Amino acid sequence: MKNYSLTIGWLYPELMSTYGDRGNVISLQKRCEWRDINVKIKKLDVGFDQNQLTTCDMIFMGGAQDKQQQIVADDLMKKREELKKMIDNGIPGLYICGAYQFLGKYYKEANGKVINGLKIFDLFTVNPGIGFSRQIGTSVIKALNNKIIVGFENHGGRTYLGKRIKSFGKVIKGFGNNGNDQTEGAVYKNSFGTYLHGPILPKNPQFADLLIKLALEKKYGAPTNLFPLEDSLEIQARTAIAKILKIKI
Amino acid sequence: MNLLLILFGNLLSGISRFFNFGSGSTWPGHIALSVNKNFIKDLLKNSKTKIILIAGTNGKTTTGRLIQTILEKNGRKVFQNQAGANLLNGIASSLISNSSLLGKIEKDFAIFEIDENTLPLVLKEIDNPSFIIILNLFRDQLDRYGEVNTISRKWSEAFKKLSKQTTLILNADDPQVAYLALHLEGANVNYFGINAKNSANKIQHASDSIYCPNCSAKLFYKTICFSHLGDWSCGECGYKHPQKTFTSFPFYPLSGTYNEYNTNAAVLLAQTIGFEKEKIIVSLKDFKPVFGRQEILNINGIRVQIFLSKNPTGFNESLKTIINLGAKNLLLLLNDRIPDGRDVSWIWDVDFEDFSSKFRNVVVSGDRVFDMGLRLKYAEFRSFETEKKLANAVNMAISKTPKNETLYILTTYSAMLDVRKILTGKKIL
Repeated sequence: MKNYSLTIGWLYPELMSTYGDRGNVISLQKRCEWRDINVKIKKLDVGFDQNQLTTCDMIFMGGAQDKQQQIVADDLMKKREELKKMIDNGIPGLYICGAYQFLGKYYKEANGKVINGLKIFDLFTVNPGIGFSRQIGTSVIKALNNKIIVGFENHGGRTYLGKRIKSFGKVIKGFGNNGNDQTEGAVYKNSFGTYLHGPILPKNPQFADLLIKLALEKKYGAPTNLFPLEDSLEIQARTAIAKILKIKI
Repeated sequence: MNLLLILFGNLLSGISRFFNFGSGSTWPGHIALSVNKNFIKDLLKNSKTKIILIAGTNGKTTTGRLIQTILEKNGRKVFQNQAGANLLNGIASSLISNSSLLGKIEKDFAIFEIDENTLPLVLKEIDNPSFIIILNLFRDQLDRYGEVNTISRKWSEAFKKLSKQTTLILNADDPQVAYLALHLEGANVNYFGINAKNSANKIQHASDSIYCPNCSAKLFYKTICFSHLGDWSCGECGYKHPQKTFTSFPFYPLSGTYNEYNTNAAVLLAQTIGFEKEKIIVSLKDFKPVFGRQEILNINGIRVQIFLSKNPTGFNESLKTIINLGAKNLLLLLNDRIPDGRDVSWIWDVDFEDFSSKFRNVVVSGDRVFDMGLRLKYAEFRSFETEKKLANAVNMAISKTPKNETLYILTTYSAMLDVRKILTGKKIL
C-alpha cells in the first residue's frame, strides 16, 4: 500500500500518557508500516499551533493524572473549535480515559466543582468522591459488531451518556462508563471514547485496523481494504485474558 | 500481652523457617497488630533505638542494605525489616524478631523500608524517626498506589508534624521529592543528587514530574539523568533545584546510575550521623546485594544475574545497565499478581525500541508472557521466544547462554521470587 500515507496527531504525549497509552500510537504506527503505509506521528504538546491539527488524518489522546489534566484543559479549550470541526467532519480519533471525559459537557469533581468540557460528545462525568472507590480492573466489552474487546480500566469518574450519542460497547466484565448501565465508552461519527487502556489497541488489532481503514477512506475518499497481518501473538495475548475470566472469544 | 505476642511471633517464624514455608516475615506482625493495634508504638515507646525510614518508588531495599552495611561494619547494632515486607505488618514482624523476651529492643538503629502508601500510617506509629530518606517518585502500579501527585500530597501532609528530631534526606534531582521540603515546619533537610555526566536534554517518555510542582509551568532542565531526574528549574515562579546537594562519592559498589543515587543517599545519611568518608568506603568494599537486586547466582557453571525491574523507569535503567555490562542473553519475566500490580500497561512506557537489536538470545515468560511478547514484537525485536511455563523458560534461557557469558534476568517482583526458587531450590519470602 505504498501510495498511501497518514498523519496521526498525538495530543499531549508529554502530559496525557500515564497508563501506557503510547502503546496505542505504536500499534497504529507499526500496523501502518507493516503494510507499507507511510505514517507520520505528530506530537502536539501544550502550546501547539492549532493549524497543525488540520494536517492530521487521525487524532489520538490518552489519559493522565488530575493535575496534568488541569494543565491540558486550559490549553485544549483554546483549540476547541478546530478539534470540534474535525470530529464533526468525521476525522477518526481515539480518546482514552481523561481524554474521553474531556470531550463531554463537564466533569464534576468530588467537592462539587464543575469543570467545563469541550462539549463535543453528549455526555458528562461525575466523581462521586470519598466512600466510592476507583473503578479498577481487567475489563471485557462487546463492541464493533459484537466483537470482544479486552482492556484494563482505572478511573474515579462515572460517565453518563446523553441521548445524542451511542455507547462504544456493552460491558461483559468490569465497570464501563459508570458501573450501572453496562455501557462502555462512546462513539460519535468516527471518534471513539473509552475507559479501556491496557493499552487497548495492541491486544485488539481489529480495532487498530478499523481506525487505520477509516482514516484512509476519509483521506482518499474511496473504500479501502487493509490486507491482514500475522496476528498470532496478538490473539494469544487476547485469549489468555479471556481464559482467565472464563469468557469465550 | 505484648510479651506474649513477641514469644508467639518468634515461635511462628521459627516453625515457618523450619518447614521452608518462607521466612515468616509478615505473619507474626500481622497477628500482633490484630491483637494490639498499638503494638508498634508500645514497643518503641521506651526504646533508644534510632529509626531510619526509607521510601520512594525504586531503590528502597538496596539503600537499606547499604546503610545497614555501613553501620554494622562500623560497630553499630542494626536491624532491618525484610526486603519487600514493607507494610505495617512487616515492620511489626521485624520488631518482634529483634526484641528480647522482656520486650526490649537493644539495637542502635532500626532501618525500615516503607511502601509508598504506608509511609503516612507509619508516621502515626513512629513519632520522631531520626531520618526519613525519600529516594524518588515514579509511576508504579497505578492500580494500587494511584498517581504520583496523590502520593506526594499524602506525604507532604504527614511530614507537617515532624520536629527537629527528624532529618529528611531528599533527592534534589526529583522535583516532586525536593518539593516536599517547601512546606515543612519542623524537620531538618539534607539533599542528595548526582552530577549528570551527559547533558542530554531529551526528556524520556516515562517522566512524571516535568512540570513545576509549585506553579505547574513546564520545568527547564539543564541536565537530565533519567526520567524526570536532573538539574531542573522553573522559569515561571523561580522554584529550582536545591543548591546544597551531596552529589558524588569516590566508590560505588553496584552498577547503574540508579545505584549512584542509592549510594549517595546512604552515604549522606552516614555522614550526617558522623562517619568519616574513609570509613564508609572501607565498609562498602565487599558489599553484597540483596536477593534479586543485581544478585549473582552460579547455575551449573553459567553466571546468572537478576535485576528486579518493576516499573517503566526501573526497567529502562536495568536495560541500560545490562547493556553497559555487555549483556547478550536476556530472560524477561512479567507477572500481574498483587505485588506486581494487576495492570501491565506500563510495559508500553518502557523504551524497548532502544534495545531491539542489542541482544542475541531473548526468552520471555511469566503470567503475562504474551503481553511482554507483544511489546517486543511492536518494538521490532529481531527474535525472541515466548514460553508459558517458567521452569521451561529458565532452562531454555540457560541452555542458550554460552559458558563464558551471563544470563540477565529482568523480572517483576513475584516472578523474581519464583525464579529464585527455581534457581536455588529455596523459598525466600
